[in-house]
Amino acid sequence: MMNDELKNLGHMTPPAPSSEARARALALAMQAFEAAENSLAAPQGTAAHRRQSSIFNRLWSPIMNRKFLAGSALATLLVVPAAAFLTLELTRNGLPVDTGEQQIEVVGKDASKGSETKGAIAAKPASDVAADKQLTPEASSTVAEAEAEIAVKRETGIVADDAYGIVRERHAAPSPAGGIEMLAGGSAMRTMPAPSIVPSDIMPPQEENRDRFSSGETNPVKSVTTDPVSTFSADVDTASYSFVRKALMAGEMPDPDSVRVEEMINYFPYDWPGPESEAEPFKATVTVLPTPWNANTRLMHVGIKGYDVVAAAAPRANLVFLIDVSGSMDEPDKLPLLKSAFRLLVDKLKPEDTVSIVTYAGNAGTVLEPTAIKDKAKILAAIDTLQPGGSTAGAQGLEAAYDLAERAFVKGGVNRIMLATDGDFNVGPSSDEDLKATIEQKRKSGIFLSVLGFGRGNYNDALMQTLAQNGNGTASYIDTLAEAQKSLVEEAGSSLFPIAKDVKFQVEFNPREIAEYRLIGYETRALKREDFNNDRVDAGDIGSGHRVTAIYEITPKGSPAVLNDDLRYGAAPATQQADPAEKSGELAFLKIRYKKPDGNTSSLITTPVTEENAVPSLQQAGQDVRFSVAVAAFGQKLRGTDAVSAYPYGSILDLAASAKGEDTYGYRAEFLNLVRLAKSLGGE
Amino acid sequence: MDEELIERAQRGDRNAFALLVERHYDFVHAVAWRWSGNVSDAEDIAQTVCLKLANAIRAFRGASRFRTWLYALTLNAARDHQRSRSREQRNAARFLADPTSACATDNHDQVEALWEAVRQLPDKQGDAVLLVYGEGLSHAAAADVMGCSEATVSWHVHEARKRLKILLGREMV
Repeated sequence: MMNDELKNLGHMTPPAPSSEARARALALAMQAFEAAENSLAAPQGTAAHRRQSSIFNRLWSPIMNRKFLAGSALATLLVVPAAAFLTLELTRNGLPVDTGEQQIEVVGKDASKGSETKGAIAAKPASDVAADKQLTPEASSTVAEAEAEIAVKRETGIVADDAYGIVRERHAAPSPAGGIEMLAGGSAMRTMPAPSIVPSDIMPPQEENRDRFSSGETNPVKSVTTDPVSTFSADVDTASYSFVRKALMAGEMPDPDSVRVEEMINYFPYDWPGPESEAEPFKATVTVLPTPWNANTRLMHVGIKGYDVVAAAAPRANLVFLIDVSGSMDEPDKLPLLKSAFRLLVDKLKPEDTVSIVTYAGNAGTVLEPTAIKDKAKILAAIDTLQPGGSTAGAQGLEAAYDLAERAFVKGGVNRIMLATDGDFNVGPSSDEDLKATIEQKRKSGIFLSVLGFGRGNYNDALMQTLAQNGNGTASYIDTLAEAQKSLVEEAGSSLFPIAKDVKFQVEFNPREIAEYRLIGYETRALKREDFNNDRVDAGDIGSGHRVTAIYEITPKGSPAVLNDDLRYGAAPATQQADPAEKSGELAFLKIRYKKPDGNTSSLITTPVTEENAVPSLQQAGQDVRFSVAVAAFGQKLRGTDAVSAYPYGSILDLAASAKGEDTYGYRAEFLNLVRLAKSLGGE
Repeated sequence: MDEELIERAQRGDRNAFALLVERHYDFVHAVAWRWSGNVSDAEDIAQTVCLKLANAIRAFRGASRFRTWLYALTLNAARDHQRSRSREQRNAARFLADPTSACATDNHDQVEALWEAVRQLPDKQGDAVLLVYGEGLSHAAAADVMGCSEATVSWHVHEARKRLKILLGREMV
């Protein structure tokens, strides 16, 4: 598609150049041509045409080539201690150390006298002591003296430029013709600024933030009359929260596109009641509560908890770590963090599980063939050998990883590739589409893919999300070791052992009770209404013990907060087909469709939502419900959602603080800190 | 024909040089226009290239590759021009605020939007896309102009397409 579009570029016909511009260009070109011709004819190599730098070069080259350079080196050996002694002597006698002014004057005068006087130069500027010490063997000649002088001057703190000037004069002297020019060169050098000073107008290029996010419009308020059904796919990713945290910790507001409210909500462990048995993979708990940021609307809070596979019953795992070791990973929050994270994960796995490691950077390479966890030392050693370097060749790496995963394939077990990278994935012949297709195809053969993101500055969030979503995996963003602990160890079960795949949600609202609704978050997860019952449409997966939380803001019929006007010509016929008599009193109807991890046909769970699910005040809602609502408010505020713009950070803080609960791992305390940071950064 | 003109121009024949520049001015202008998307910039760039040509023609070797060389000269000039312009814009913020000085693009159809995105690409990627898609060169010929290997050109094009998708995707959503 892109290809065809690009081909159109060739069809653009440039406008004809104006004849005026054309004539002007031609005339100028002719002038320049003639000027070039003339300069070609002029005698070359005149002094007038020389650049100052060329003088420097012409002088230095023969010096560097001369055989007696060895002599000068010898002389330097002799003179350096002498110079040190001289300095000591001078300072002890209370003489001013910086005698530069005087010396320059002397040098200039002497040199103008010609080559005969040059021998005296070295002796004159320095004191008598210096002259005595400089009696070096004849062989060392003028170069040695010059070197010595440089050394002396350096010791006494004079700018090296002056010394170079003197050297130049000395060596120019033997060729009488060059004498004057040399002098000019010498004095020119003296007035030149120190070479290390960078011109002030060259600024270091500003570092560009190349993180990329796909921007999804915030879900709009929908009218129940025209749009009674809302459909979306489950999302258990948490990458967005870590990214937001990293930005806030770095003292800047996160990019609104990087904030995915549902991922922020789902980051926190909530204690929703779970299902009793494996037969029913998850259970939905619905709470209807008043909206904290709008007195005239309510929130419909749906908490879903997956069945917790007991560790003993967990199937065998075959994990392939696909690790980006490109040069950009050489930062403390990237490769070293990743190594520590994998060590944590290795500790968590069972002895029979196998692990392999593939790296990619320039060339993809297998670092570790499939190895059982009982051979832990070997695995840890392999992790330690990882070194950053080279550029990224993800496609090859992925191929190698799939090869290894197939080789150690565990039937009925968990076969998963854990891709760890800091950014762009693919530098290879294949496009993103090909890559997605490969991952999708491998997913069907039972090998899943999860993505662990590291670092900032080059993170391609959109691609990582797509890869994980197509590979039936999760995308997590790891910025601290605590986060690695959370996503790899505490939640290892859930991201490694899926209990249901292609989990889709559909909520139908009752137009008699609800006028409008708005789904908070899940922008990137929206599905078409008809896709709900289509088993071929891929959707998110839920792992062991996973929690998924979705929140709708609903506007009851007759509320002053209704945004859409009533339709003049009544409700659409479709909504009247719903049997009103039977469903009276119901606010909405929740349907969940899922497949068993190895199944291809879906099952359906349904839950009606009635006034029985409602609580009259915010305080009566459960602690976890309140906390998740606070997170939702915060996420929306960071995204710039209009509905919460009037709700201050302070209120979010109060709401979250009152619902902090036990908070064993400190996740919620950290959230409170982030709200405080955002509050001060946002200037509220 | 070109070969002969070049040879004569190199020996200092001003008529031959004039003819040579005239023959290729439209080509240079067209390339410059594709790159800058703007007639007045294209004219400036073309003029710069003509001047460069006047100074550099004597040093040019390999008459059969004159086109390739012109491409390289033009792309460099376009790049320099763009740089100096963005420097100007940085220095004087009011320059941007003044609607008459803003370098308004000449037309705004869909292809133009795509080109606009191409012009935002990093230098090498933009060059590669221009040469391959805009000028219809093969990857090998583009590599010749850019002075790199064919594989590198393919890579630049691939990267550029990836980036374009993101640039354009964002605008369209």
